[in-house]
Amino acid sequence: MNIPGVFYITFLLRDIRTPSWRPWILRKQQFSLPGVPLLQAAGKKNSSNLLGLTEAELKEQFVRGDGPGGQATNKTNNCVVLKHIPSGIVVKCHQTRSVEQNRKIAREILREKVDLFYKGEDSDVFKEKKASEKKKQEKKRKAKENLERKKHFKEMQQLDMK
Amino acid sequence: MWKPATDFTTMRCLTHQLLRRLLGRSPLCVPGRLSQSKGPILSPKQSPLRQSCSARPGLVTATDVVNYWQKVFETNGIPEARESSEYIVSFVLGAKTFQSLNSKSLCTPLTAVHQEQIQQLSNKRLERMPVQYVLGEWDFQDLTLKMRPPVFIPRPETEDLVSLVLEEESRKCEKNSDLCFPVPVPHPMILEIGCGSGAIALSLLCKLPQSRVIAVDKEEAAVNLTRENAHRLQLQERIHILHHDVSYSSAKQLLFWGPMDFIVSNPPYVFHEDMAYLDTEILRVRLMPHDCC
Repeated sequence: MNIPGVFYITFLLRDIRTPSWRPWILRKQQFSLPGVPLLQAAGKKNSSNLLGLTEAELKEQFVRGDGPGGQATNKTNNCVVLKHIPSGIVVKCHQTRSVEQNRKIAREILREKVDLFYKGEDSDVFKEKKASEKKKQEKKRKAKENLERKKHFKEMQQLDMK
Repeated sequence: MWKPATDFTTMRCLTHQLLRRLLGRSPLCVPGRLSQSKGPILSPKQSPLRQSCSARPGLVTATDVVNYWQKVFETNGIPEARESSEYIVSFVLGAKTFQSLNSKSLCTPLTAVHQEQIQQLSNKRLERMPVQYVLGEWDFQDLTLKMRPPVFIPRPETEDLVSLVLEEESRKCEKNSDLCFPVPVPHPMILEIGCGSGAIALSLLCKLPQSRVIAVDKEEAAVNLTRENAHRLQLQERIHILHHDVSYSSAKQLLFWGPMDFIVSNPPYVFHEDMAYLDTEILRVRLMPHDCC
């Protein structure tokens, strides 16, 4: 039988009317759920260059149902607030309607912000932003050039026609 | 079908000149309720509907409408007034959450069609219908599932249950890889008791591409909804959904599918004596036939 599942249900029933906001760390200790898969899943293409975050450094808040077990309420507020304790950076994420997804995305965003905070201009986040800004400016410049060329061509045509 | 309670107190409506224009009709009326009461109570301290962006007078933006409905919900004692309002408006505009809408959408005036859609959905919310039923869909992890009463709405905590199964599965795989000879990866067979909308079953199918699921539920509505969601996600080839009551029916037909690697279940578990403490939204679902426990 699924022992962790039974434990999970009895835990929820025990906490009948306690506050529903609790840090993830506390919950993690009670369930022995590893925080690692969540952080690994949050990685992007170049994430190996970004500073890693450990769950111990994070404090998280999201709404869980209170009352007799999770089924007794229907909270739709899936907003996640994630704080990186050493730097004090806080990320609030309500991008999706799933708590799990919001937690993943919050970690991605926080990881980038923390990297930027500590590495400044050396951060990949900073470099990527600069690169994309440069690209944008280059595109604008080329478009302007094309426009000028066309204008010039048209003027020459009109002169020829005269 | 969703049935509003009969003990509803008088509904109070907010009216304002601009709102009349907003809705293209005279005082905002909530259908069904007002005929039983003395009529809408006009809030004497109604503040004007402020326009948060630079839309021209007479035009309303998404932010304006969210604020308006939030006030209506609050006045009528609807829980999670802000969240409900945001989800409804976002849904009509094709987004999942208000935060995910870009700033342009927030400042663009809403079309009459959109406003009408928001009105219709908000009226359902005013009858204490859960947001998930109002929208007819909700997200579970990275899946969007259809929702329909009386089938239970998956809770956020249930996402953790899926993680537990995945963790257990990877632990099993590690154990197998310790053997000296290569073991072919089997198809993990998963049995779910009480599949509801199919959240757990379909999540597991997505996360474990080799797995197969046998999902059972004693409610035919749940069986149908799980089947519908499976088809929408193109997972119907890997799941069998059975109308079966494990408490009363013989398990013989389940034995047909062979041994199971996992049995997972998140059945209804609210005790009768705790029903009195439930929010109205939950209670109304419970009062449907075939309630829990």
